[in-house]
Amino acid sequence: MSDPVVGLILLAVLFVFLAGGLWIALSLSAVAAVALAFFSNSSVGLNLAVTFWGHSHSWSLTALPLFILMGEILLRSRLSKDMFNGLAPWLGGLPGRLLHVNVLGCAIFAAVSGSSAATAATIGKMSIPELKSRGYPESLILGTLAGSATLGLLIPPSIILIVYGVATEQSIARLFVAGLIPGAMLVGLFSLYVAVRAWMDPNLIPVETTKLDIKEKLWEARGLIPVALLISGVIGAIYTGIASPTDAAALGVLLSIFLAVLSGSFTRGDFMDALLSAARTSCMIAFILLGAAFLAVSMGFTGLPRNLASWIGEMGLSPYVLLAVLTIFFIVLGLFLDGISVVVLTTSIIMPMVLAVGIDPIWFGIYLVLVVEMSQITPPVGFNLFVIQGLTGIDILRIAKAALPFFFLLLLAVVLITLFPGIVTYLPDAMSR
Amino acid sequence: MRTFLDRIYLAAGWISAFTILAIAVLISAQIFLNFATRVFGLPLPSTIPSYADFSGFMLSAATFLAMPYTFRSGGHIKVSLVTARLPARARLVAEVIALLAAIALTVFAVYYIWVLVAESIHFGDVSNGTIPIPLWIPQTAMGIGMTLLCLSVIHSLIETLLRGEPVIAASEEA
Repeated sequence: MSDPVVGLILLAVLFVFLAGGLWIALSLSAVAAVALAFFSNSSVGLNLAVTFWGHSHSWSLTALPLFILMGEILLRSRLSKDMFNGLAPWLGGLPGRLLHVNVLGCAIFAAVSGSSAATAATIGKMSIPELKSRGYPESLILGTLAGSATLGLLIPPSIILIVYGVATEQSIARLFVAGLIPGAMLVGLFSLYVAVRAWMDPNLIPVETTKLDIKEKLWEARGLIPVALLISGVIGAIYTGIASPTDAAALGVLLSIFLAVLSGSFTRGDFMDALLSAARTSCMIAFILLGAAFLAVSMGFTGLPRNLASWIGEMGLSPYVLLAVLTIFFIVLGLFLDGISVVVLTTSIIMPMVLAVGIDPIWFGIYLVLVVEMSQITPPVGFNLFVIQGLTGIDILRIAKAALPFFFLLLLAVVLITLFPGIVTYLPDAMSR
Repeated sequence: MRTFLDRIYLAAGWISAFTILAIAVLISAQIFLNFATRVFGLPLPSTIPSYADFSGFMLSAATFLAMPYTFRSGGHIKVSLVTARLPARARLVAEVIALLAAIALTVFAVYYIWVLVAESIHFGDVSNGTIPIPLWIPQTAMGIGMTLLCLSVIHSLIETLLRGEPVIAASEEA
């Protein structure tokens, strides 16, 4: 049978499993098993067992549960309660005023939690009622929240970049560092958009009456400062090469426990919740990674990705054309699948093709995360939309409409890093080693 | 019976949770030792032998032991876009088919993972680090986790059939 036919059959099998409601990790494994059983001469069972074992105990993957645990602990500490009051006094003077709390709060929290949905839930729980009661326009409250929460995927330590790094065997430290400037750029773009909207229509944004002096501002922000230090410490240690991401994550866990206890109101029950919740989330992600690793191994036996890559190579396609096609493909895929699944599917099938046209794998990781961020705010499957719907009870389509400008800002960011790849590659290239 | 099994899944989940905490403590201890000997010159061993191997094996154990609890509490994600729009009766059928497929896959995986463990014992495979660890030990944790996952899927199928409605909660985030 010819390659395209085999590829299409396997793709159809995958979609049947996924649409039928088989768990994603198992769907990936099932397709891998089908591919091995029918289109190769290798043993299905032994490959499965060896891959599951071999990919479940890697040193770089160890960073995954640790960063998740760190986020779960800080999530339950006072930090999340302090976020609004701590940031609000500093941002009230900007055009767009407290809407920037959504943007910046999400950015800070994103750094802590690494998960987009958790960011939307935590920040939204406080900021939506606060902003609504002060008379801010609903579409901008929801839009900034849905858009900015996607920063959780990009700003290090990012869970999805660990997944990408482990699946493609790229340095997670370099990926984290590569995400810094694009992350800051997105925060800038989002804030700029809010400011422009406020400037175009001065009546849109209510006036802030309370003014605090610098001492009061610092007092309100006291809960945020240690957390900001913790995060910059973690990222700084990785950037300077003092610690690997896994080392930094381990220290981050202990320091976050210390901070949470110091800040008060962190009970033993909170701690136990954080532990079990971290075990559950990291198990879910690791299982998907194992399924994807098995799929990658079986794809290697069928030779499909290799042939696809050489086929693309022979076409002499420019990287720009390939990226344009891939972007549309990922946006469509992201309508139905969550981010991690999009990433692992990409890495097990499309990666050789990307390398064949000479795209830098670190750059591609950041690009992929940006595209996945877009998919978080597009219906029908957009996890940030689900979360905000859960928080407010507002119809998902109305939330999606409010988030649409931020979808285009993300698209703009993709265009920018494509035209100026240095935005992504400058810092990792400048890294020690 | 039902609560008994759920207690086993939860217990395995807690073992997983504390294993993750232990990884954090182990790696941090290594960093402190390194720091104490290099910066302060304290007369301590500067490394915990094979700590990266130990962390990896604990990670594997943590991942697999959390499988049944994660499954039962709806932690493993799936695409519910299509099935959620089906009428109740068809949704039940889809759930039963998905559970049957999951059972087939996990039974298969469990069998071959135990084959792998048996081979590791037979050939006396050990890890490459300073301290050679027999591989069957961490692989056994993987076997137990997958076996419990398989059990929890079968358990869920029986419950689904008895109750006539899906018992696994929909996953809420990713």
